[in-house]
Amino acid sequence: MDPIQRQIVDLLPRLRRLARVLAGQPADADDLVQQTVERALAARGQWRPGTRLDSWMFRIMKNAWIDETRVRRRRGAVLAPEEEGENVGGASARAAEARLEAAEVERAIARLPQEQRLAVALVLVEGLSYKEAAEVLGVPQGTLTSRLGRGRQALLAELEGG
Amino acid sequence: MERDERLAAYVDGELDAADRVAFESELASDPELRGRVERQLTLRRRLQAAFQPVLDEPVPLQLTLAAQPANARARGWRAPHWAAMAACLAAGVLVGRGLLTERGPLVARDGGLVARGELAGALEERLAADGPAPIRVGLSFRDAKGRYCRTFQSAPDQLAGVACRESAGWRAQALAAWSPGPEGRYRQAGSDTPAPVLSAVDELIAGPPLDAAAERAARDRRWK
Repeated sequence: MDPIQRQIVDLLPRLRRLARVLAGQPADADDLVQQTVERALAARGQWRPGTRLDSWMFRIMKNAWIDETRVRRRRGAVLAPEEEGENVGGASARAAEARLEAAEVERAIARLPQEQRLAVALVLVEGLSYKEAAEVLGVPQGTLTSRLGRGRQALLAELEGG
Repeated sequence: MERDERLAAYVDGELDAADRVAFESELASDPELRGRVERQLTLRRRLQAAFQPVLDEPVPLQLTLAAQPANARARGWRAPHWAAMAACLAAGVLVGRGLLTERGPLVARDGGLVARGELAGALEERLAADGPAPIRVGLSFRDAKGRYCRTFQSAPDQLAGVACRESAGWRAQALAAWSPGPEGRYRQAGSDTPAPVLSAVDELIAGPPLDAAAERAARDRRWK
């Protein structure tokens, strides 16, 4: 396996997490990861060694996700958050509770507009700095922080409301 | 900087040292501000906690395969499966590790190795979604001959591989030494499936892997 493939394999858990924040449903999220990986390998010549591979792949994922949402919108597909409550039968009460809590957070994130969801995903979940996140999104830092601020407000309203 | 933005920058660790000190002295004398910081920290924690478990999930084998497409082909290496198997796990090793004994997971038959016992049972019955078990089945797919093939990881046998269903049973196509991660936990399936097994899957697979519904349907038809 060549070094970039090895690094991509190592990044897969983080790519899956970011995809889950963006796409919501696990199957859609893994499709998004797959597209991202395929695009990255096809464009591997454009990655400059010495720069961060994770940021580069996050940018590819962002583009793939935006493309995908456009296609879905054209098809008129409705992106409804999946019904939760499956597979909790065998889990402990505490795990089930954590699952419900996570589902609530996921639903709140799914209601955010695309741009705010991206900012929230990169900074609050993925832990990127403002500078890194702005670079991934290809926007000025001020744009990133204002999207992040609006995303935060919306999430607080949603999550503290209930 | 606006007040809200400063607060966010503080919570996100984006203030430089001087600004942070100034903000913290404001915090000390302003309970209302402290409350707002606490709300933001709680939000951050909830978001982190909601998605953290994804990092610990096994990575679907399809994604690992997508990340290293045909890496054997890239080197121009197209060994027959038996040679691949022999390369990664010599027959002597199989015998030495007790894999071919009466109670072992494999039996030599028709010039190949066929799963028996618990391994055969797992390949025949288990679904990928069944959850943790000593013998876990990963990806199910069909090969160009229309046979069903499945990857597996067996903790008791310290063995990973891919086997395809023939009339004689599940015939191993590739095998590799494998062990579960520390504390008996399965490590990330992605980085964990041994390369010889990945190469064999890559070489065998025809079309997309079975999804959960197709896997169950094939199982219920006894893989015919």
